[in-house]
Amino acid sequence: MSVTLASVTKSEWIKFRSVRSTLMGVLVTVVLTIGLGALITTAIRGHWNQMDPIAKLTFDPVSTSLGGTLFAQFAVGVIGTLFITSEYSSGSIRTTLAAVPRRSRVVLGKLIVLVASLLVVAEVVCVATFLLGQSIFSGVVPTASLATGAVLRSVLFGGVYLTLLAVLGFALGLILRQSAASISTFTSLLLILPIVAFLLPQSWQSAISKFLPSALGRAMMSTSPPANFFGAWTAAALLVTYVVVVLGVGVVMLVRRDA
Amino acid sequence: MLRVDHLTKNYGDTVAVNDLSFDVAPGVVTGFLGPNGSGKSTTMRVMLGLDRPTKGATTINGRSYHDFPAPLREVGALLDAKAVHPGRSARNHLRALAASNGIAPSRVDEVLEFAGIASVADKKVGGFSLGMSQRLGIAGAILGDPGVLLFDEPVNGLDPEGIRWIREFFATLAREGRTVFVSSHLMSEMALTADQIIVIGRGRFIAQGSVDDLTSHAAGTVFVASNDNARLAERLRDLGGRVTVNERGLDVSELVSTKIGGVALAEGISLSELTPQRASLEEVFMDLTADSVEYGSAHVAS
Repeated sequence: MSVTLASVTKSEWIKFRSVRSTLMGVLVTVVLTIGLGALITTAIRGHWNQMDPIAKLTFDPVSTSLGGTLFAQFAVGVIGTLFITSEYSSGSIRTTLAAVPRRSRVVLGKLIVLVASLLVVAEVVCVATFLLGQSIFSGVVPTASLATGAVLRSVLFGGVYLTLLAVLGFALGLILRQSAASISTFTSLLLILPIVAFLLPQSWQSAISKFLPSALGRAMMSTSPPANFFGAWTAAALLVTYVVVVLGVGVVMLVRRDA
Repeated sequence: MLRVDHLTKNYGDTVAVNDLSFDVAPGVVTGFLGPNGSGKSTTMRVMLGLDRPTKGATTINGRSYHDFPAPLREVGALLDAKAVHPGRSARNHLRALAASNGIAPSRVDEVLEFAGIASVADKKVGGFSLGMSQRLGIAGAILGDPGVLLFDEPVNGLDPEGIRWIREFFATLAREGRTVFVSSHLMSEMALTADQIIVIGRGRFIAQGSVDDLTSHAAGTVFVASNDNARLAERLRDLGGRVTVNERGLDVSELVSTKIGGVALAEGISLSELTPQRASLEEVFMDLTADSVEYGSAHVAS
């Protein structure tokens, strides 16, 4: 027997599911996405008749029902971050790396566990919150159906978006090695960058803001992304690129640095 | 066998290990002794492939750590007993470790039993005492039944019963032909635990040998008492002895006891006591590392 990608992945899966923070993170993700989704859709149903006709015209029942992901994205970021930074804070990273000296394999094992489990959770949650939202809208607000290609794509991209953000949190954790630093950097990317962009001159704003991770997420989850936004597939490809780049930096740093 | 070959490790401007070389043989317990900050942990981290050497190398049975297909089956290590996720149970910690190297899950139960922590195996590690954590660390080290074992300060936090247990455990591992390498900053502990001792200070090699070797090479003194201490002291000084007079008799260094006895006989002085004072390992250690203590007590006081 030896250290293989399969054995490392199995080991990481045991680690991932055996701490409460993972379970709590998943629970918060479910509650935020579905709970806030229900809250948002209920509020819109209540105000639908008083809504501005133009707003009604551009209303997207799909992205609106997925609104809870704007909050759940922080929960998945924390799940991804803690998966690696908790090893640094406890010191168990040394045990991990002594058991698996090929460090890139540790990253790959963790990545498989993180992506596989979060993709399942996030897709289930996104489909559930979509269906719940449509049933709340039903009769008053226009609804959408998963039978429509663009709708199905938007809902599924909701799960992809959350999974990519979990990997982004993980990659930041690899680089920064500290929970607090990684989580605040993650939060800044999603919350502070849009504010900074908003303060820029109008011409710059429209050129830059569509590149922000949060804008990419909005584009991915819209059936027809608003003007000034990338198309859904382009947005997804860009976000994947960001995540891969940050992850690549993290892997190089893990391999080069002393543990 | 463990080999450290001209190892140098710098952290920025700090030289943690400086051109260090030694071999650790199988079949005996080898103590790795040095004051705090002398480079013991750094050397062990390099051995485990955790830190990259600035110069030189360490090998285990002639191979680099990175070349082992399943390292836990070759080398078991306990570096820091508290370095376990506090929210994970002891059993899950060991299961994850076992899985990474393809070790059967049944082995986890065996080592938990062996280390005496089977009853708390499903409790969170965060609630463990340091002694229990040390036992978990030992369980992790023997998980792959390795031929080489490294322990960094393993007796810290153990109660007397635990210390006796761990000494016997090391001796058993060595009798089975394994290489057992144990670091400590406590000489007295090493004197009881180790057969062979390697002493380092400020990252440099100082001495290697058995406990007997190290103490016998140290300059001992001879205590002598007679019916005329003043005259005897004078004669011994003439012969190049260094003599300290105290109320009971004389402490003589630089002269062996047979020479002192001969002088007394020639002078017609009758001796009531003539005792070579063997330096304790503690004194040898203090002597050897006196120049190399990284953090002297003067620093602590300031």
